[in-house]
Amino acid sequence: MNINILLGLAGTICLIGLFFRLSIWFSQELHPPASPVTIGQRIFDSMQSVLRTIFSSKILLIVKSLFVDLLFQKRIFDKSYLRWIAHSLIFFGFIMLLLMHAMDSIIMDRFFLDYQSTLNPYLFLRNLFGVLVLAGVAVAVFRRVSLRSQRLKTYPSDWAALIFIAVIILSGMMLEGAKISSYTTYQNMVEEYGSFDEQEADALEAFWVQKNGLVSPDFKKPQPEERVAYGMEVNGDSCMECHAANSSAFASFAAKNVAQSISAAVGDSQALTMFWYLHILACLSFLAWLPFSKMFHIIAAPISLIIKGISGDKSGETATLLTNQMIGLSACTHCGSCSIECSSNMFFESFQNDFILPSEKVQFLKEYAAGRVTDKADLKRLQQGLYVCTSCDRCTDICPSGINLKEIFVTARYSLLDRGIPEVSMLSHFSFPLALAQSFAGDHLKALKTVTNLFRKTFKQLSEITLPMTLSKSRNEKNSSFKSCFSCQRCTNICPVVRSFENPVESLGLLPHQIMFSLGLGNTDLAMGSKMIWNCSTCYLCQEHCPNGVELCDIFYSLKNDALNKIEAGVSS
Amino acid sequence: MKYAFFQGCNIPIRIEQYASATRAVFNKFDVQLQVIPEFNCCGYPIRNVDEKAYILPSVRNMAIAEKEGLDLLVICNCCFASLQKARNVLSNDSRLKDELNSILAKEGLQYKGKARVKHYLTVLHDDIGTDKIKSKLVKKFKDLKLSIIHGCHVLRPREITQFDDSFVPAITESLMETAGVTSLDWQGKLECCGAALAGINDELSQRLLKEKITGALNAGAEFITPICSYCHLQFDTTQKNIPQADRDTELLPVLLYPQLLGLCLGIDETELGIIQNSTIEADDIERLKSLLGPPVEEKKKRRKKVAA
Repeated sequence: MNINILLGLAGTICLIGLFFRLSIWFSQELHPPASPVTIGQRIFDSMQSVLRTIFSSKILLIVKSLFVDLLFQKRIFDKSYLRWIAHSLIFFGFIMLLLMHAMDSIIMDRFFLDYQSTLNPYLFLRNLFGVLVLAGVAVAVFRRVSLRSQRLKTYPSDWAALIFIAVIILSGMMLEGAKISSYTTYQNMVEEYGSFDEQEADALEAFWVQKNGLVSPDFKKPQPEERVAYGMEVNGDSCMECHAANSSAFASFAAKNVAQSISAAVGDSQALTMFWYLHILACLSFLAWLPFSKMFHIIAAPISLIIKGISGDKSGETATLLTNQMIGLSACTHCGSCSIECSSNMFFESFQNDFILPSEKVQFLKEYAAGRVTDKADLKRLQQGLYVCTSCDRCTDICPSGINLKEIFVTARYSLLDRGIPEVSMLSHFSFPLALAQSFAGDHLKALKTVTNLFRKTFKQLSEITLPMTLSKSRNEKNSSFKSCFSCQRCTNICPVVRSFENPVESLGLLPHQIMFSLGLGNTDLAMGSKMIWNCSTCYLCQEHCPNGVELCDIFYSLKNDALNKIEAGVSS
Repeated sequence: MKYAFFQGCNIPIRIEQYASATRAVFNKFDVQLQVIPEFNCCGYPIRNVDEKAYILPSVRNMAIAEKEGLDLLVICNCCFASLQKARNVLSNDSRLKDELNSILAKEGLQYKGKARVKHYLTVLHDDIGTDKIKSKLVKKFKDLKLSIIHGCHVLRPREITQFDDSFVPAITESLMETAGVTSLDWQGKLECCGAALAGINDELSQRLLKEKITGALNAGAEFITPICSYCHLQFDTTQKNIPQADRDTELLPVLLYPQLLGLCLGIDETELGIIQNSTIEADDIERLKSLLGPPVEEKKKRRKKVAA
């Protein structure tokens, strides 16, 4: 098939994909705002902020970002030399190959008048860049394998990207290697560019066999020195002007031995055609695949970085905010740096919920924003993953694509909570930074209410129990120090929370000493259902002051754990 | 001396000045504080949900310090208590220790319990010592009245935290005295700032906070010095979040201990990040500086007393 048809096809798929990905920026959102924003409004607002930035002093920030963030990739450099080396090698090598090799007829022929792909430095550079890319891919593979123990998750799509790049480079090297050894190619060149007498032709061929890697049916290595020397003369007169020594294509020159054995098996020109198709198809499929994969980051990440360079992590107007969040999600390369540094990484080990890791949340949030997540169990796990977060903002700080992850995660958290699935980890200190930031205050209270309602449904209050209560055998409590309680009420009297209420029994259900008493009666459920344990400020005054060494605060903690487990069991059953 | 510097999650992002002031102070005494990026959350936030999940992160942090051959210097009370709790639990429960170690083994870590956990005030008071601190003072406060709030989790439960006498703490008093500060006797000194209830029951959380603010002001405090990062955030952020209408008192400015000690050691106020405390204004800092006097004054007085 004609290469232009293939290129046109790949290009069209790529363009359709780009349109599709770009349209997501303006059409999807994590959390619909109170007053709806139209797609038109979002495009208009984005255009407006782009224009406003370009025609202001902020243009300098963009220029700075172009050099520092995009070309030098300082954010990666600052965090991990290994990643920076891998990415820079691939980035630099690939871009140079794209400009110098893939687009040679557009760029090189126009700007370098003496450009010949078979001349140095081009012949050499092409190989150098190829080797750089391969070295980068090797470092990236090493990183993915060696950091597995650090909770770096790798999907098949991550491997696919690396394999794609490696195949493009390797197939190119094999193609060049096959060409170097190919007798057909040699004959064609001699026919096209030279006119030799028989002696000259023999010497030239001997020289190419000896020095340039040609595999000839007539001449075998080693060739007599005089003949090679004469051949070198002929080569100098007729060939060197347009063709440098093949050994300067050092990688392909090394690959020729492998290529040659394939040529020997399937035939010289068949092998050439095969490698050519492999190389071209790999390149074109990569082009077509690009917008549908994480490689889309080559478009989205620079934009995300420039946005960060201009506005820091400050949120813009609603319309811009929604768009920026979608740009951010699309800029993720699933590099996993955020998950390696995540403060909550040990909670991931405890709960075995992938969504606790930021990099995994992002992948799923793309699906969520597209409305493709409907399974309740998935939503619940995602919600827990979003909530079990210490708000340390390390992920946002480290993200090489400059994605404002903390904002995306907080928005997504309340978007999920808004669906009414109760989240028990709201009753933990993960809520503290959220209360501090005061964003989504109304949504927070509403979601908290769904959890409290569940409590009311699950546990009976003292007033609902038919009296008299019977003494039942105490369950095997983890902490049995309550058995030493003799209800002196020192705990209740010193409690700053009890003191805060005019009518503490009404507000708190059971008072601290009553909770110990109900445990003594063997009624753990009553203790678990009391509001007191959730209003405990964990100040440990009661425990410290108890004359009998009852570890009240610790018991409250374990009652809280048990109560949440019971509720969770009830929700999932 | 060199320690692994354990800052927790709040300090690096929300109270950077606590870390920088502490570092500046410890620099004066040639104590190196090494930041270890691999440290994770101490586990405290999950304690209401799952006790084992609460223990594991602290065990990992201690294992990392152990691998580095360093003791931990902790500046957040809740982190301090979590680390000490984990130590205590594992020293009594070898089965749990094995279980958690098997999780850590995946990344080549092992907890043996070699790394010690120290609160930064203990290091100042016991390891460096007040005499050495006094010898480095270039200034000293005179007539600075402030209220210290210890934060619950450094004091209690005493057998876990092993910080100080939980009823009559002496370390803080002695350190305050070293800087010439009058630490007021006030009702909230050993009590709760309400942080643990924020986001769960905001109203109650703020009620406990307001009670402390009023208490400190009534005792005549010009500043409040929270030891714990959670207390700091309650006084420095939540206090400002409370709408003016609901606040029946003026704003009580927050001053951290390393900041006030740093001033006495001649460290520049910008390096101590005092203005980064959101409740402090420029004139508060001027007022503070005006209260600084020569460091030897007290000795003179004593001599006079002896003479009389």
